[in-house]
Formats: sequence, structure tokens, C-alpha cells
Amino acid sequence: MLSLFSGTGYPVAIKMVLKRALMETDLEQLKDLVKKWEHFEWIEVPGLEDRLSRLKVELNSAGFDRWGLHPETLRKFAPMLYLLYHKYFRVETSGVSGIPEGRVLFIGNHGGQIPLDAMMAGLALFMDGEPPRIARAMVERWVPTVPFISTLFTRIGAMVGDPMNCRELLEHDQSVLVFPEGVRGSGKLFKDRYQLQRFGTGFMRLALETKTPIVPVAIIGTEETYPSVYNFEVLAKILGAPYFPITPFFPLLGPLGLIPLPSKVTVRFGEPMYFEGNGKEEEEKIREKVQRVKDALQGEINSGLKIRGEHIFTGAAK
Amino acid sequence: MKVLVTGASGAIARLVASALSPKYEWVGVDPRPCPSETHFPGEFMVADYHSRKLDDVFKKHQFDAVLHLGRIRESQKYSPQYRFQMNVVGTQKLLELCRTNGVKNLVILSTYHVYGAHRLNPLVIAEDAPLRASQSFPELSDAVEMDHAATHFMWKVREVRTTILRPTNVIGKHVRNTICSLLRSGICPRVFGFDPLMQFIDEKDLARALILALENPLPGIFNVAGEGVIALSHAIRHAQAMAVPVPPIVTASLVRLLAEVSKIPFPPYLLEFFKYPTIISDDLFRKTFGYQPKVKTVQSLHHLGPISARAAISGASQDESV
Repeated sequence: MLSLFSGTGYPVAIKMVLKRALMETDLEQLKDLVKKWEHFEWIEVPGLEDRLSRLKVELNSAGFDRWGLHPETLRKFAPMLYLLYHKYFRVETSGVSGIPEGRVLFIGNHGGQIPLDAMMAGLALFMDGEPPRIARAMVERWVPTVPFISTLFTRIGAMVGDPMNCRELLEHDQSVLVFPEGVRGSGKLFKDRYQLQRFGTGFMRLALETKTPIVPVAIIGTEETYPSVYNFEVLAKILGAPYFPITPFFPLLGPLGLIPLPSKVTVRFGEPMYFEGNGKEEEEKIREKVQRVKDALQGEINSGLKIRGEHIFTGAAK
Repeated sequence: MKVLVTGASGAIARLVASALSPKYEWVGVDPRPCPSETHFPGEFMVADYHSRKLDDVFKKHQFDAVLHLGRIRESQKYSPQYRFQMNVVGTQKLLELCRTNGVKNLVILSTYHVYGAHRLNPLVIAEDAPLRASQSFPELSDAVEMDHAATHFMWKVREVRTTILRPTNVIGKHVRNTICSLLRSGICPRVFGFDPLMQFIDEKDLARALILALENPLPGIFNVAGEGVIALSHAIRHAQAMAVPVPPIVTASLVRLLAEVSKIPFPPYLLEFFKYPTIISDDLFRKTFGYQPKVKTVQSLHHLGPISARAAISGASQDESV
């Protein structure tokens, strides 16, 4: 009595056609083939099961954690991410062993138009971290309105960068990855690469309030993946995006221009920093502490750049 | 103890009443007649909440507690004017009657819809979050108004201990709300490209929560959620239904068409809930009342099944122990 297309006549016909089209067609084999290629399932990711099983997450009967992290989705995308991480960007990490247990606030440098930096830092913590952990990346406020991306981000642990969300995660002893530069950082031009833009101060107040250690993360390499030479602000405004980069390849080469340049990526975790306070101090005092984090991060970036030298695509000569 | 329950012909009221029927004396009120196959454990009366009949009920009985579960849901069946009369004017009248007749304990069932689905919603919504629903969805304004009326009453009239519960999507064998009807129908539309997290609470868990609130009168506003979050597409799959992704541009008109062809109302605001997650935190309720949901979300969705109305409802009074 409550079926969606109840009644007689054409509703029944619609129901039949829909069922035929969507259920009774035998596309299983084709589906399997597409699935296999879709997620690069033929690639073995060494140690994936072990790492997934050692993640400190509490899952419910549907396989989700409190904030919508879904390790099964991670497993599905792992081969693809592994390709990007190990083969394409050939990521090297340093300082992973110095990360303290429990809640941590990772502060990174932002650049390169799309959040490849967040992805690489997150993967570094998952693939090379001991124990493996999920970094909850704080993303821009417009991300929830983007179809597919919003869904995928939620499944792999990214959230809107709202102070309330950050507090909630830190209070539950999670690792949070924040880019205090925000869009000022991700939209920066090629000539400004690795120069930290103005930092927001909200992260410091949250760290003090929740007594969370701060770990600066220098991500070297991702700022060269999309060398933006000009920010087409008018078009960005029309599209409702925060910026619209023009690179030597995009939009000139169309979709080909969307392929990131294969620069060698290094993720350097700095020494954990502990600050005293309750998060209710005047802006002046907070700014001072933020500057210390910024300096530490810039220092980490500079030593990373020094090691790399001019070899953007091959990395340092060893 | 004598308890008045509104929305008495609904599934939740019957579950609560039959679980506590020997202990308490029940009087049920509902504008809808009680389904013929079912049995309400106590006196049942058909009455609108804003009518004079309600005064007579209070004159006849001396109630110790009132359970207000009778919010009229948003659907095309009732006009917005009627819903406003029942949910806002009716609730205000009921609250006034509680005050003047010395009711000691009042439990009001609101809904998580009052928070509204919004892209800026925090990861988890606590009770003190702003109620955005009426801003984006005028059709939900009566629910928000009712919640406000209840909250004002809670602060103003301290002699009636008022507990307001805001449950998430309620599902269960006997529940016949929009989300259940959609999941049972076998075909459930969803917005193409969006797959928000949802929460579901089983009817038995909600009944348990209501009993807790009734037996331990602690004033306050509490979110009530089930076991955990689940993506909409997963929920549809677990309910053995088929998800039909609808492109966002045509959703509004298509959904209107679907609602017309089928008999299931699909209120437009639900589309937003199918786009942006509205996850509530029931930490406060768990801590205050020691509540722990017992039914796993996946099980609850599995057992939703296609409704065989008669069998399911007639069985309610005997075999459902909460």
C-alpha cells in the first residue's frame, strides 16, 4: 500500500521500466571490470591491511566513525593514493617519529591551488606514521557545496575548517591538520611559493584551550605542481570559486592542464611545540605565539628547500 | 500515576504506553482515530489539541505527567494553517493546561529538523545551536515555533519539570513517517553527487529514551540519536531499496512529480537534508540519563522491510517489549 508507484495504469508502467533498466539488466561483469580499473584494484598496497587495522578509530555497525570517516572508502582508494604518493610524487618524510601520541594539531604551509598538500601530509601520517593515524584536514567552507568532492572528503576524514569542528575533534583526541593561510595560501602565485602568507590566529586559541601540542609540517614540492602565474579574479567571482589560477598549461591545454607536474615531494614534520595559556588571551599575545609557529614552519621549509636545491623534479642529489 | 499521551494513535505512543501499561494509567488523545487493529492500553479519545475537548480531559482526570508526542508532521495531507493550529496553538494550550492542573512532569517530542540542513552546520550539532530551519524552510516554521514555545515554557514555569527531546530520523517497523515510507517503497531518490551522513534512531530506542525522560524528570533540552552515522546511500542499500540519483537542477520538479504519482509526500525541505548532513550529538542525553541505544542502525534498517501493515501493527500490543 505504500509502494512508491502504487496505483494502476502508467505508474505501474514506469515502475516496470525503471526496474528493468536498473535491476534486471545483466551488467555485473562489465561493472566488475569497470570497478577493477576505476580504483586501480590490481595494484597491491604493501601493509595496507595492517595499517588499516591499527588505526585508532571507533566504528559503528555501518562502518563509520563519529564524524563520518569510512575506512572502507579509504581501502577502495588506497591503490590510487599509493600510486600518487609513492610513484608519482615519490614522497619522502622526515621527523615522523617525533610526533607525540594523542591529540595533535598539525600546521602546514598551503599552496598549489588544489589541496594536494593536505593529501600528501595525510598520506604521510597514514603510510609512514607509527602508529598510522588519520589526519583530519580542515577544508574550505565552500567544499560542502561541491558534488562528489564533498562526499569523498567526508569519507576520508576531511571536515569544514570551523573552530567548532576543530574543537570537537581535538577534544576527542584526534589529529587535526590546519593550514592557517587558508585560501591566501592555496591560491598564491608561483612567484610567491614557500613564502608563508598571513596566518589566522584561531588555531592557536584552540590549541591553548584544548592543551594540544602543535607540530609544524613543511610540505615541499606541492607548491610547484600548478605553477599559477595569474589569478583570474573576475572569472573566479562568476564561478563562485575563491580564485581561478592561470598556469602555462591551464586552461590552455584543457583537461591536460589539470595534470599536476610531477615534482618530488618531501614532508617534514618539525619538533612538537607546547604553549602555555587558556586561549582567552588578548590578540597581541596570541599573535606572538602564532609568529613562533610561523617562524618554526618557515625554518623547516627553508631547510627542506636547501636540501632539495634546484632539483624540483628529481629531488636532492644524494 | 496517571499519564496523558498525545499522538496516541502513533507507533511511538503505543510502544511507550504498552511498555508501561500495568505501572501507569494511560489516557490517549489524538486527532486521528486509533487504527482499528490496534489497541491503546487505556482510555483513548479523538480530539484536536486546540479544542475544548482537551479542557474536559483535564477536568475529568488528574494527570501526574504528560507526554506530548502529537506533533503533526509536515506533509501534503495537512495544510500549513492546520499544522500551525495543532502544533503551535495546540501545544500552547496543552502547556497552559499542564500549568493550571498541577502536572508535575512533561515530556515534549520535538525534532532535529528544527536545526535545518545547512552547508555551514557543524560536524555535530549540540542543543545550543541556532535553529536555522525556519529561515530556509518556511514549511518547518511550525516545528520551530513549537520547539520555542516548549523551551519558553520550560524556563518560565519551573513547577512543571519539562524535558524536550529532539530525536533524529525515527525508523522502525511500525513507524509511518516520510523517511520510513521512502526506504520501504524500494525506490528512494537522492541528490546526484551528494551523499550526506544521516542518523537513524530505532522506534524502540526512542521509546526507551522517552521512558527514561518520563521516569527521571530532569528539565532540559536533549538531542536523541541512535547508534551512529551512516551515509544516505548505505542506509538505502541496507533497507534493500534502490537509490535513484536525481540531478540537482531538476530535483525540485521531479520530486514534486514523484510525490504526485506515488502516495508518499516528499516535502521539499527533505531535499536539503539529502544534500547537507545534519548530525546531532546526544552526548548530553547519554550523560544525564545514562541512555545507550540498543538497536544497531544497520539491523534497524534491515528489519524495516516492506510493511505488511495489518500483521505488523496488530502484533504491536503483544510482542513488543521495550
